[in-house]
Amino acid sequence: MAESSHYPSYDVWAEHREWDEHTRKIVAKRRSPDVAHRFLTPKEAVTLQTAASLLVDDIRLDVLTYITQHVDETLASPVGEDQRKVGVPEKQTLYRQGLRGLDETSEAEHRALFAALPKEQQLDVLTRIETGQVKPSGAWAQVPAKEFFKKMLHDVVSAYYSHPLIWSEIGYGGPAYPRGYIRVEKGLVDPWEAKQDGK
Amino acid sequence: MENNDRVTHHSDHYEGHRSKQLDRRKYADGADVCIVGAGAAGGVLAYELAKAGLAVVVIEAGPFWNPQTDFASDELSTRRLAWQDTRLVDGAHPLKLGYNNSGRGVGGGTVHFTGVFLRFHESDFMTKSMDGVGEDWPIRYEDLEPYYDKIEREIAVSGPDHFPWGPFNGPYPYPVREPISANAQLFREACEKLGIDSVVAPLAILSAPFDGRPPCINRGFCNQGCMPNAKYSGLIHHIPKAIGLGAEVLSDCMVTQVLTDGDRVTGVLFVHDGQTYEQKARVVILAGFVVETPRLLLHSATPHFPDGLANSSGWVGRAIMPHSSHDVYGILQEEVRLYKGTPVLALTQHFYETDRERGFARGYTLSAHGARPVGMASAIAAERADGTMLWGSALRQAMLDYNFYARVTLVGEVLPHPDNRVTLAEEKDEYGMPRAKVTFSYQENDLKLIDHAVVQMKRIIEAMGGRPAHVVSDTAHLMGGCRMGNDPRTSVVDQFGRSHDIPNLYIVGASTFVTSGGANPTNTVMALAARTADHLIDAMRQRDV
Ligand SMILES: Cc1cc2nc3c(=O)[nH]c(=O)nc-3n(C[C@H](O)[C@H](O)[C@H](O)COP(=O)(O)OP(=O)(O)OC[C@H]3O[C@@H](n4cnc5c(N)ncnc54)[C@H](O)[C@@H]3O)c2cc1C
Ligand code: SF4
Repeated sequence: MAESSHYPSYDVWAEHREWDEHTRKIVAKRRSPDVAHRFLTPKEAVTLQTAASLLVDDIRLDVLTYITQHVDETLASPVGEDQRKVGVPEKQTLYRQGLRGLDETSEAEHRALFAALPKEQQLDVLTRIETGQVKPSGAWAQVPAKEFFKKMLHDVVSAYYSHPLIWSEIGYGGPAYPRGYIRVEKGLVDPWEAKQDGK
Repeated sequence: MENNDRVTHHSDHYEGHRSKQLDRRKYADGADVCIVGAGAAGGVLAYELAKAGLAVVVIEAGPFWNPQTDFASDELSTRRLAWQDTRLVDGAHPLKLGYNNSGRGVGGGTVHFTGVFLRFHESDFMTKSMDGVGEDWPIRYEDLEPYYDKIEREIAVSGPDHFPWGPFNGPYPYPVREPISANAQLFREACEKLGIDSVVAPLAILSAPFDGRPPCINRGFCNQGCMPNAKYSGLIHHIPKAIGLGAEVLSDCMVTQVLTDGDRVTGVLFVHDGQTYEQKARVVILAGFVVETPRLLLHSATPHFPDGLANSSGWVGRAIMPHSSHDVYGILQEEVRLYKGTPVLALTQHFYETDRERGFARGYTLSAHGARPVGMASAIAAERADGTMLWGSALRQAMLDYNFYARVTLVGEVLPHPDNRVTLAEEKDEYGMPRAKVTFSYQENDLKLIDHAVVQMKRIIEAMGGRPAHVVSDTAHLMGGCRMGNDPRTSVVDQFGRSHDIPNLYIVGASTFVTSGGANPTNTVMALAARTADHLIDAMRQRDV
């Protein structure tokens, strides 16, 4: 497994003039996210952002701010959630209680709010929630810990891998219309694609 | 969008282009046929019936998309092409719905489908008599063959000169796609090493210009809506043609009830912008896919039909089937770049037919399958087959190798089971309709098939020189819920989609499937729709409806 980018000098955004206008607008917005939230309270936003930072293993503020904004937008939106398991509350309740649960478990296990804990203890709290090893009281009496973790992981990861900075890092070619790809076969790359350094 | 002119007068709102006034509808006083749902099946029917001179209204819950301004080369923002309204899911293996399998908007699921275009085999129509599992269809392959031919020609399916499995061996109307992606090349080379036949996939994607549309530019975003219009969808083919022939398409109109008078249906109620309207028709065709069609039938219950329309058998909503669709991601020494090219460019049906030695009935298709970062990362993080989750530095490091992954995907037959079903939940949606509850559990045969397939997918990855790294548990497509059959006690519609209980109510689309087959279903969906159209045109001429 790689420890760092194979493509340190690649910047997918440098190609944005080649993208169709609709896509360009969508991606541009991610580069300058809103910090005002519609659903999350400031405290919830901090808790979520702290958890997100650990879930994606990244501390860059601009990316994390975008993730939080994306989740907030999802929660404030009236659009449905595709599917919801019987017994799992609606997304708003799941997040509200789940974020409260993060703090409750932190206080129960390590005597401080989640955001205030050192990283090791934060990881411990997240692992407890991931595996359902939490006290079934307070928030966790109302929402299933594992389901909350899974939903948060899914949402956070989806946002993270939508950010052009991350696209550059993993060498993803990004938007490709109207240009498309000419050289798709093994070992071939179009001139604008990411190249491993020195190759 | 090219087809704007044709739709100017016929549809409701589409900014700047269409009449907003639903009172000025073309067939406000009644149509010959009202089709609910402008998806794969609805599009074919609208076109065929309008061509035959019938007055056709298509009512579609979602928008009339404009590929240039509504689609994007982006994963996250195009999830809205799907049916996102919440459905409740239950069972031992609750289904992932929404973007995963349900379209919403003109074109339905074809707007964001992958375009793999396969026929079912002869055995798919008689699993009960051949293998003692599932159920036989009321039709045989030969009944559909002329319609497969017709649909494939009509939309210029590209494919190999020789297709080695099943009754149809090619050639396809349009030349095979060339070049193919690295992932597809690696897949084919690996298959060859293992003595497994493979082909370049037959696709509803152009390999050369056709009907004013350009060939594919390999941008790879088929599941986000094709912007150059190289990929078939009802949105750019059947629906605009149907409109040109006089059909009216009402988009952003949600049908909430099928109306009846005695033993017959008289039309539907639909909601647009908070207002309810009625559409009368001599014949109503439900083409709303596997979840919504049963929901609508169950919700339209009357004192005369207390268990829902067309449901005297109790089979409405029952025996829904996804395809099992596990993925194996393998890591290679060299770059593969899963983002490039049409997502599926190679496949094998080597494991399609029943082989008793394997310990389960029926079989599957395996495809070389591209992937984009959001899809891959969220799947290897939160949808792992072993039920664990991957996050933090382990996920980040795995994704740094994104370009070094290859991927193989299963399309596996899932046998019908009556307890896998759509019912109505207590909870209501924004229209006051009960939400659908979708219950699904794999049965033993299904799970054995998956295990077998995962072993084969890992072998293929290894034969590429790769190491299987992530196994993702997933499903694809949906079928069943209003199955066809000869016996009104155990099926909802007859072989043409006509409901056993109500002579002027038809159901078409994936919901009438009896079994799932082990191949992507839409060629069969569209062939069945074309067959229903022929039947209906005849029946209406003879005033038999
Ligand atoms: C991501 C993805 C990839 C796929 N890839 C492939 C592939 O490669 N090959 C293949 O063969 N198949 C593929 N499919 C499956 C394919 O999309 C479906 O088989 C096909 O669209 C089903 O056709 P249908 O007409 O039954 O339903 P749909 O095409 O889903 O159409 C149903 C329509 O009805 C509308 N509707 C529902 N209820 C109402 C209501 N109450 N009022 C008004 N309108 C309503 C919906 O909005 C929708 O537009 C894929 C699907 C998805 C989602
Ligand atoms: S890969 Fe081809 S068919 Fe698919 S979206 Fe791109 S241009 Fe359209």
